[in-house]
Amino acid sequence: MSSITDVAPVAATRTPEGRPRRTRKPRSGPLLGLLAWVIGFLFVVPVLWMVLTSFHSEEDAATNPPSLAAPLTLEGYREFFGVGTGTNPWPSLLNSLTASVVSTVIVLLLALPAAYALSIKPVRKWSDVLFFFLSTRMLPIVAGLLPIYLFAQWSGLLDNIWLLIVLYTAMNLPIAVWMMRSFLAEVPVEMLEAAQMDGAGLLRTLRAVVAPVVLPGIAATSLICFIFSWNELLLARTLTGTVAQTAPVYLTGFVTSQGLFLAQVCAAAFAVSLPVLIAGFAAQDKLVQGLSLGAVK
Amino acid sequence: MTQTTLPPTEKTQPVSAPRGSISDRSRAERKLGWLLAGPAFVVMLLVTAYPIVQAVYYSLFNYRLTDPDNRSFEGLGNYWVILTDGVWWQAILVTVIITVVTVAVELVLGFALALVMAKALSSIRPVVRAAILIPYAVITVVSAFAWQFAFRIDTGFVNSWFAWLPGVSDTTDWFGGQASSLFVICLAEIWKTTPFISLLLLAGLAQVPDVLQEAAKVDGATWWQRMWRVTIPNMKAAIMVALLFRTLDAFRIFDSIFIMTAGANNTESVSFLAYRQTISRVEIGLGSAVSVLLFLSVVLIAFLFIKGFKVDLAQARGER
Repeated sequence: MSSITDVAPVAATRTPEGRPRRTRKPRSGPLLGLLAWVIGFLFVVPVLWMVLTSFHSEEDAATNPPSLAAPLTLEGYREFFGVGTGTNPWPSLLNSLTASVVSTVIVLLLALPAAYALSIKPVRKWSDVLFFFLSTRMLPIVAGLLPIYLFAQWSGLLDNIWLLIVLYTAMNLPIAVWMMRSFLAEVPVEMLEAAQMDGAGLLRTLRAVVAPVVLPGIAATSLICFIFSWNELLLARTLTGTVAQTAPVYLTGFVTSQGLFLAQVCAAAFAVSLPVLIAGFAAQDKLVQGLSLGAVK
Repeated sequence: MTQTTLPPTEKTQPVSAPRGSISDRSRAERKLGWLLAGPAFVVMLLVTAYPIVQAVYYSLFNYRLTDPDNRSFEGLGNYWVILTDGVWWQAILVTVIITVVTVAVELVLGFALALVMAKALSSIRPVVRAAILIPYAVITVVSAFAWQFAFRIDTGFVNSWFAWLPGVSDTTDWFGGQASSLFVICLAEIWKTTPFISLLLLAGLAQVPDVLQEAAKVDGATWWQRMWRVTIPNMKAAIMVALLFRTLDAFRIFDSIFIMTAGANNTESVSFLAYRQTISRVEIGLGSAVSVLLFLSVVLIAFLFIKGFKVDLAQARGER
């Protein structure tokens, strides 16, 4: 098997004679294409149904099977955003936004130098350090929940958004270091050396050589950190109360109390998911490389 | 095992630089390296190591938060209580079932999906990719509620849609029993994470050298033989990464169970048990012991994967 893996992938696009080989058009292309569409559709259908229902009135939403052609309305959203009901999701959305954005910024500030040190200017025992970071990614959050809770209680940080920010930073930092390292590894070493020869300082090298190559990677990393922080439920639920509760916590409560009003619930779910959907959509190019921590491209 | 990768130190040192300056510079660079990596390292050490050490400490005491004066040293007594209790083994069983079922199904389904996407016309691939990523991006709370809604006896449409299946009728209570509850939980997990696996494997498929496929075809290998002898061995890194990440994530499952069943009908996972003991029942000693055991299980799984299967993330990358 090892002999198989030794073949350089570069050779793949050329025949032994060196002519570029015509890319094989699979005969089964259209059929499999259709299959791909069908499978893709199956995966999206529940979400589409949720979005559609969120724009229906409660009467139309309650029909079974769901009515496709019912008139659209913003009623569900109006209810969720508290017009008439007095519920107000804005503080929780704002909390989520603060926790996600601030923790992502801190993660970037810490992870970027670390990843740079671990990939371009490797510190000694770099693989040990990397695997230390990776091992923390694998920790079950719940295992540390109680000490964190007691610490928060003792220090008065319970129901404080800053506690979540610190915890989300720690939660995403290992992933970010690994992701950034994978993106930084794409910086051509020759260019770095050339910059060094020309006497460019660290900042100059970073700005002129490293930044252009890794900026898309940084963007993807931040989007993924944003997604993880926005989605987090366990810590938020345990450590926040009325003041610092995040959107998923608010949503859990909203669904429990308004569960019978389907259109409202769908509107709430979609409104809370929307930032993450947008982030995921924007990051999709680099998402796989990032989430596999660079193991595949 | 990581030593088999390109030693990155060699890459950074200019070949033509004079001898004396190398050691000076490399020493300075090493210092800079630690300076750059240090803050992240310290943060992780503080925020992750502290709670674990603290949990180990708490786990040695008989300690209830509601009764802090009666704190007494128990030694390993809490562990004995847990390991001789059926609740722990039930939680382990549930967690293992969920992990094995979801990871196995996701791997097979994700691989099939990856094959389909790889063969599909390249023009539609980005659209399909964006579409199947949606479940992965939907927040877990929402997907858990959605699946619960679909299967619930009073609101769900699954019973009426699938009434033609044997065993499904209007009165099927999916959340009324352990097996059917776990089925729905697994289904929700599979729906949510198969897209991620399939995209990972699709990226792995792209790493299989075409020339090998051609050679195997010329030699008369069947589709099945090519799959097992050429395709899969060559995308081992992607498969292993998918397996490792998903296994660890599945083993820590909490959100879905919390929302769909709240642990009713013996659907408690280990994470959920630890949560219930510590946060709901404020049994600090016992709960910490559960947490430590969960932590050790996760470490064991990761260790087995990384050592046993020789998953080398750093090397997987170097091979590309």
